[in-house]
Amino acid sequence: MTDAPLLNVENLTTSFETDAGRLIAVDGLDVTVERGETVCLVGESGSGKTVATESITRLVEEPPGSVDGTVRFRGRDLGTLSEPELRSIRGAEIAHIFQNPQDAMNHCYTVGWQIAEAIRVHEDVSRAAAKARAVDLLDRVGIANAAARVDDYPHEFSGGQKQRAMIAMALATEPALLIADEPTTALDVTVQARILRLVNELKAEYGMGVLFITHDLGVVSEIADRIVVMYAGKAMERGDPVDIFEHPAHPYTRRLLACLPGVGSDHGGIPGSLPDPTDPPDGCRFAPRCDHAVEACSRGEQPAEIEVGSGHCASCIHYHEGYDESVLATDEAVGADPKWEESDD
Amino acid sequence: MTETEPLLSVRNLEKHYPVGGGLLSGPSGAVRAVDGISFDIARGETLGLVGESGCGKSTAANSIVRLEEPTGGQVLFNGGDRKGRTRNDDGTHPNDVTRFDRTEMKAFRREVGMIFQDPSSSFDPRMPVGDSIGEPLSVHGLDDRRRRRAIVEDLLGRVGLTAADYERYPHEFSGGQKQRLALARALVLNPELIVADEPVSALDMSIQADILGLLDRVQSEFGLSLLFISHDMSVVREICDRVAVMYLGEIVEVGPTESVFTSPKHPYTEALVSAIPTPDPRTANRGIELTGSVPDPADPPVGCRFHTRCHAVVQPPDLDVDRTTWRQLLDFRLAIEAGEVDAAAIEERARIEADGDGREGSTAAEQLRRTFDLPETVSDSAVEEDLAAAIGAVLDGEDGRAAERLRSTVRTPCERQHPESVDHGDGHESACIRHDPEVRTAREWQTEQ
Amino acid sequence: MASEQEHGRGDRDRFDRIEWDEHADSSGFGLSTNTVGLLVSTLPIAALAAYDRRFVGEREATFEALGRDLGVGSRFETLGLDYDPGSLEYLFGFTLLCFVWYLLVPLYRNPRITRYYWREFKRNRPAVVSLGWLLVVFAGGLIGPLLLSAPEQDVLVGHQPPVYLGIDSTNVARCLGETVGGRCYGTWEYPLGTTQGGEGVFRNVVYGMTISVQIAFITTTIVAAIGITVGTVSAYAGGWVDEILMRFVDIVLSFPTLLFFLLILYIYGAGLGMFILVFSLFAWGGTARYVRSKALSVAEEPYVDAARLSGASTFRVVRRHVVPNTASSIITQLTLLVPGFLLAEAQLAFLGLGDSGIHSWGQLISAGRSDLAFAPWIVLAPGIALFLTILAFNFLGDALLDALNPEAEAENQR
Repeated sequence: MTDAPLLNVENLTTSFETDAGRLIAVDGLDVTVERGETVCLVGESGSGKTVATESITRLVEEPPGSVDGTVRFRGRDLGTLSEPELRSIRGAEIAHIFQNPQDAMNHCYTVGWQIAEAIRVHEDVSRAAAKARAVDLLDRVGIANAAARVDDYPHEFSGGQKQRAMIAMALATEPALLIADEPTTALDVTVQARILRLVNELKAEYGMGVLFITHDLGVVSEIADRIVVMYAGKAMERGDPVDIFEHPAHPYTRRLLACLPGVGSDHGGIPGSLPDPTDPPDGCRFAPRCDHAVEACSRGEQPAEIEVGSGHCASCIHYHEGYDESVLATDEAVGADPKWEESDD
Repeated sequence: MTETEPLLSVRNLEKHYPVGGGLLSGPSGAVRAVDGISFDIARGETLGLVGESGCGKSTAANSIVRLEEPTGGQVLFNGGDRKGRTRNDDGTHPNDVTRFDRTEMKAFRREVGMIFQDPSSSFDPRMPVGDSIGEPLSVHGLDDRRRRRAIVEDLLGRVGLTAADYERYPHEFSGGQKQRLALARALVLNPELIVADEPVSALDMSIQADILGLLDRVQSEFGLSLLFISHDMSVVREICDRVAVMYLGEIVEVGPTESVFTSPKHPYTEALVSAIPTPDPRTANRGIELTGSVPDPADPPVGCRFHTRCHAVVQPPDLDVDRTTWRQLLDFRLAIEAGEVDAAAIEERARIEADGDGREGSTAAEQLRRTFDLPETVSDSAVEEDLAAAIGAVLDGEDGRAAERLRSTVRTPCERQHPESVDHGDGHESACIRHDPEVRTAREWQTEQ
Repeated sequence: MASEQEHGRGDRDRFDRIEWDEHADSSGFGLSTNTVGLLVSTLPIAALAAYDRRFVGEREATFEALGRDLGVGSRFETLGLDYDPGSLEYLFGFTLLCFVWYLLVPLYRNPRITRYYWREFKRNRPAVVSLGWLLVVFAGGLIGPLLLSAPEQDVLVGHQPPVYLGIDSTNVARCLGETVGGRCYGTWEYPLGTTQGGEGVFRNVVYGMTISVQIAFITTTIVAAIGITVGTVSAYAGGWVDEILMRFVDIVLSFPTLLFFLLILYIYGAGLGMFILVFSLFAWGGTARYVRSKALSVAEEPYVDAARLSGASTFRVVRRHVVPNTASSIITQLTLLVPGFLLAEAQLAFLGLGDSGIHSWGQLISAGRSDLAFAPWIVLAPGIALFLTILAFNFLGDALLDALNPEAEAENQR
């Protein structure tokens, strides 16, 4: 079934039983990732983006958590697989990289050993061959003098290098899908730039699909082929970068873009705060903080996503039948700010 | 505009940490976290101090407020009732914070407030936040509890919280709210200068915007100066009047923000500015890629500290090599000198790859070139000759001879000369020998455009 | 919103309107309210102790003498105050006051955080039950002796079984309850039966509670006082002071306390007081180490920097920030120390090395072991009480560890 997307997530809902009640972290999320494309999940803390990716490969602890919805990877429903089958997919076909490389690597073993182990867990190769591949990978991710560094321990690497090593580990088995959870947030800006470039190159070289989580809109515009904006566990808007940055449709996206330093508006942040995840409001999750909320926004379910452009959808009632979307046009024009273009010298 | 003295004047500030040495002998070396920085902050001005992790900006901030004792230099604070004092005859200055005695220090503590990076550990978890904010008042002698409480409650309102939050504990607040509390605490003694050490780095974007807006309002309302430390260039661009760029304990460039961002004079600033991800999908990042990693501050490179990674490192004019290759050559030479070239491992790789072809010798050299991204042949014949000889020497295990051979052609003034500060006008200065007029005119070391 | 508040309050109450020249700096050496309260409330006890030492003879009961001297003897009699406190009791009273002023009063004055701690603590069901049992022991130990008179020997009623249980009649000199089928059954007069000597087991257990409570409080106070002081001084002084103190701690930790106690027992004789003193004087090593490492890590925290930055002296920083934050983590450690002391007392009693004059659980177990075959309740009652108490302290310690860390909780919310 070559037409099926690499990853097809439908109606993903993840909740946790806590003392304060049932906490709904992800509420009916749809995401698809095709081969060779990078999809960015954008959102602030509490948007549910991290939990969503953990739910895809069932890394969420099932009690107290519970995951509903369908996750299809290469046509197979991951929810129907047993734990050993899932394990064979995790790491081999779907790889994860995380925000803190020091937490992901074991300090007791050399980096080369860990990469080689990642290979040998899934493939039947000799130690020497695995090590040679590890050197290759370290070289490919840009670690200078890879042949010597392969025998170094994680603490002998800098932050950026550790992150590269983690990418090397993730790529060791040539996965079809790479899930990256804020891998550059903890890194310096020059290092971040290199890592992002690396991810782009590797994606092209290996033909991977990449699901990239971040809260940094600048990062998003560097690498995304498609963007999904999340808020309080739901998708508010989706589209390609040009659409999202130049013609943001959803009020939340607009407010978020207005918060970017340098965009010049004096709004400051977004008034109000996230809804209580154990008791989400009726209707649109963003309505309590939205300038354009009408009564209908606080009733019923989150508005269904409506197509506002080709491949560009927003979950806002003002785009539905019977509503006037020009109401939203009172927002200051946000998007590609001329100031950024100036600096292209 | 009248010539007013700056509020804070830092001159050649140094902070070295001794390392090494045995039980009986003294330290064998020092980590030069801050190695001679100088800058001024005028009244009401916001100065940004940017740099990547390990550059020493946090250490600089701590040394300025004497949270840590600086090991050298002067910090002249002309605020409070210290205006207009002049230097003493012996070179010392009465406003030098590093020489303040107990009483003067206590008064100084009222003039400077600080905001820390991590909101979750900035407050004592066992004290109500109101007490934490009011503690400085009590330390400085305000014993009237009722009055302290009234002051703190007033201040809470000014930072966007409510008087009812006085009784709450830190864990009951979100990250953004905690930074508001931190601002309240920094303001409570009515300082003239606030040092903010990465105040918004740990916050979400919309909250960042909130806090920055608050900082801005508070600054203009109370006429404060602000030393804003950050690694986030776009935030710095937003709120700072002037910006200083730090690398490995030194300031490499300083000037008005727009000037520094739109026409950076130092290659490191250039790289930093180009690396900022712009939220504009139409422009791809043409970022300058810096090779290598930040050197060990205990053993900084000789000459210009940035030369080991600089993409614009000076090349002798008589060499016909492009910039990228020049950088690779330098990197290779530095690797040999640092003993990082593992000839055995490279030969091993070549052997595995050759698959028993038997052409070991040349394959190892090719492997070596490939490992260090050197071209198969360098365009300049003199350099190519030296390079080939060096590669041979390395594979023979004679690193010393290889390095020596390379040093005859592959060398740069950047590693011999420590750059002096050059003034580009309007307070914009940078420390790169590419701008040093003496270097520019010396025929031998002409830079390429 | 800010301007409304401005109009409401006086101009003096704005942070930028303070005339700092008017205020002399405080050195932070003042005593906290809690310490003052402790000192004031200790005065009566200290006075009574001094009176006891100087004026009251060895065989006289203190309160009798006091009543006589003050002329209120009859009133004391009607109240039943024939108490004769020994030095241990005075010390116990003092530690109780410490507990009240340094633990209970702060909790009472900060209801927010107390409620928070309680909510977190409540989650651990076994711990809540444990707390209940410990409160029973505490109450029993404190007021039991006031309500019940001391167990008295009466050989004729020895070996009575607990109510509803029976014993072979041949073992009993006289059966207070019914005798059915050759078995003597217990009565409510002695609900847990009697010992060999005819003392009520129930009464003994209650009096044993007093001993356990005394042991728990006094040892904890001594260990806490020495441990916190040594640990904090060591952490803050650093350098060779730190080295020397920590070597001293090593010595204390490796000291053969039991042998030392036996030595003292042999030379001077040792009652409960000596037991408590010797064992707690050598038990604070672990606490000191723990406090030191916690103090060192707390000293790295930004909020300590912030306090220093505001001009606070080192003493003030230690007193207001370092000690409270370390103290809350040693509460767990201390609660886990108590079972050790209780067990040690019981073990010594079992070996016949304890203080035979007191009604501790250990003494009871020791006394009843020869009759275990036919009169098990003599050993079981105090044994179960001891077991439950030790278990309770362990559960409590565990739960306190989780409850007293608000930062760890914030992590979970993610």
